[in-house]
Amino acid sequence: MAHAPDSGPATRPADSRSMEQSRARYPDETGVIERDGVHVAWERYGDGSPTLLLMPTWSIIHSRHWKGQIPYLARHFRVVTFDGRGNGRSDRPTNAAAYDDTEFAADAIAVLDATGTGRAIMAGLSMGAGYVLQTAVRYPDRVAGAIFVGSSVGLADPIPRPGIVPFDEVPPTFDGWARYGAAGWRHDWPAFVEFFFSQVFNERHSTKQIEDAVDWASDTDAETIITAEGSAYLSPLQPAAEWEPVGAEPESPASSERESAALGYTWRVRCPSLVIHGDADVISGVSGGRRLAAALGAQLIILAGSGHDPLGRDPVKVNLAMRTFIEQIGRNLR
Amino acid sequence: MSSGGAAPAAAETWTRSLARKRRALYISSPIGLGHAQRDVAIAAELRKLHPDLEIDWLAQHPVTAVLEAHGERIHPLSAELASESAHITAESSEHDLNAFQAIRRMDEILIANFMVFHDAVETGEYDLVIGDEAWDVDHFLHENPELKRTAFAWMTDFVGWLPMPAGGEREAFLTADYNAEMIEHVERFPRIRDRAIFVGEPDDIVPDDFGPGMPAIRDWTERHYAFSGYVTGFDPSPLIERREELRRELGFQPDEQVVIVAVGGSGVGEALLRRVIASYPDAVRRVNGLRMIAVAGPRIDPAVLGAPPEVEVRRFVPDLFRHLAACDLAVVQGGLTTTMELAAARRPFLYFPLRNHFEQNRHVRHRLERYRAGRYMDYDASPPEVIAGAIAEELARPIRSLPVESDGAARAAALIAPLI
Repeated sequence: MAHAPDSGPATRPADSRSMEQSRARYPDETGVIERDGVHVAWERYGDGSPTLLLMPTWSIIHSRHWKGQIPYLARHFRVVTFDGRGNGRSDRPTNAAAYDDTEFAADAIAVLDATGTGRAIMAGLSMGAGYVLQTAVRYPDRVAGAIFVGSSVGLADPIPRPGIVPFDEVPPTFDGWARYGAAGWRHDWPAFVEFFFSQVFNERHSTKQIEDAVDWASDTDAETIITAEGSAYLSPLQPAAEWEPVGAEPESPASSERESAALGYTWRVRCPSLVIHGDADVISGVSGGRRLAAALGAQLIILAGSGHDPLGRDPVKVNLAMRTFIEQIGRNLR
Repeated sequence: MSSGGAAPAAAETWTRSLARKRRALYISSPIGLGHAQRDVAIAAELRKLHPDLEIDWLAQHPVTAVLEAHGERIHPLSAELASESAHITAESSEHDLNAFQAIRRMDEILIANFMVFHDAVETGEYDLVIGDEAWDVDHFLHENPELKRTAFAWMTDFVGWLPMPAGGEREAFLTADYNAEMIEHVERFPRIRDRAIFVGEPDDIVPDDFGPGMPAIRDWTERHYAFSGYVTGFDPSPLIERREELRRELGFQPDEQVVIVAVGGSGVGEALLRRVIASYPDAVRRVNGLRMIAVAGPRIDPAVLGAPPEVEVRRFVPDLFRHLAACDLAVVQGGLTTTMELAAARRPFLYFPLRNHFEQNRHVRHRLERYRAGRYMDYDASPPEVIAGAIAEELARPIRSLPVESDGAARAAALIAPLI
């Protein structure tokens, strides 16, 4: 299903990137929370109900990756976003542990507190799905529903990545997936980013989505993302009474340690959830979305022909699916 | 069921099909000022063919100002639309607008506005959507064909994104890619556009290809569009016949050669205005009785233009078009509406397309050359003395442009009417 990368000649000239393009809607309120000296910037749009917290993803991009959703959802609900640590208007801590998924989850709760939000429906793309999972497990009283788009939570079948080397090793040449790793990022961050997002947006005619992501990735740098790479992400859960549901853990069908760790989270999620996954996703295969939905007992929407980021590439479909799901939960919340 | 004293839920009404009135939702592009006038004219012609037709408009400033003046009904969700014209202004700089990139960088606004459109038609009360360069509606209906709820009439006055030289290889790649996506959309889903109308004639289509190895724009457009001719939005003949009377009303003297400089309502025109004003001392030496009137518009401070006392600088002219129809020569930017209004009024004019604006430099210029109307001026190659020379030459030249058709609105309406 996947098409060849279609990003064409080098992206637009550097000088045309100097200004953020017009937004369709600007926040009604902005603020910054601080936890352990790290500042995290948030935005709130609209005053409706319920509240939707659009979570950060991998810090390679910032909260603008929700730009196709914010204006629509804010007309119907209340929308809160924040820039993940390492990008946008948030700080770029220099210790790996500051990028642990538990920190992102704690940031989410701090943002809910700062915006006077009791419970929210949370949505995440790719690694953002893991941040949603972590938040839903640790703070179940704050999460009314969960939406997982193009989830990267360790449940997908591995996808061959020719040329890739272990993260801290130097590949013989910097080409294609060989760019993925500390050496490749330090060697040429923009070239890696350009390659990576041509894989994320592998649908034809995705030049604008790729350019946007490259632009957002230029708001951080290789060293920051290398630091973040050393953080914990969906580590195997140790029993902790305050977030254990009643009953024993089911026998795990997991075939790997990563899968087993992920399933340790999913069975602890109590809120209703929605899984959206493109079946042409070459970053986190659709098998991961299917397994996540099955483990959560979630509604599953497969987008046939779509890649890793349908928020950017199929915004209309995603918006309508999110609205339907949120309205169902919203009715139950009242 | 008894409500037991609680407020009853709002009633839902469903109307049987044959009890329904004919209803259309009209979307008029706010980019440039030309669409509103022509769309009002087309709506009026459509009502002649369907007297029971109800039209709501999903529109934003500045289109809404024109619609309100005509007593048209504006859909309440119009207030939710994100501003396209403010974006275009933000993308402009001194006599410069990369129109292709500006529309590309409007993607977030287009998604947001499509969602507003979707909310407006979701309940199924409209039979027909008319989209005059409603890029959001056309693009996202092709991306989400299951969301089509009505018949759809699509209109445009140009087909094909074209690269400008300054954009280099990258822009040539991008315009070809955008064209390819549009072609694939239209050919895969012919059911989306029930009627595609090119506002013009086949001869108005540029002689270019959509990109390397791609179809000729004219061939493809002739296969996929019907042609309405140009839609002026007014009948130019009274203005032509009554021109002497109009001049007297406006206080133009018989021995005066009146040059009007008008650069639109945004701030983008300041540089051109300044430069044309700077040509006045040279021009007045060449032209007896030269009178120059410069219209600054609401966003340009007349004090910064450095005009000599002989040049009249006006902030606002209430009926600019009457002035243009009465003048001896106009100096304008390269937008389609203003230049074609001048062509329709058979007035000579100099036009300066904005730098990097593919529509003005290529599509509009091609059309004007077909009508032999106006004189193309390259802003960067036109210092004040060149402008003065061009003013003198054009004032001395007899009118040679072709008449502009005045039945375009009726032709467009006749193409749309069978859909409803």
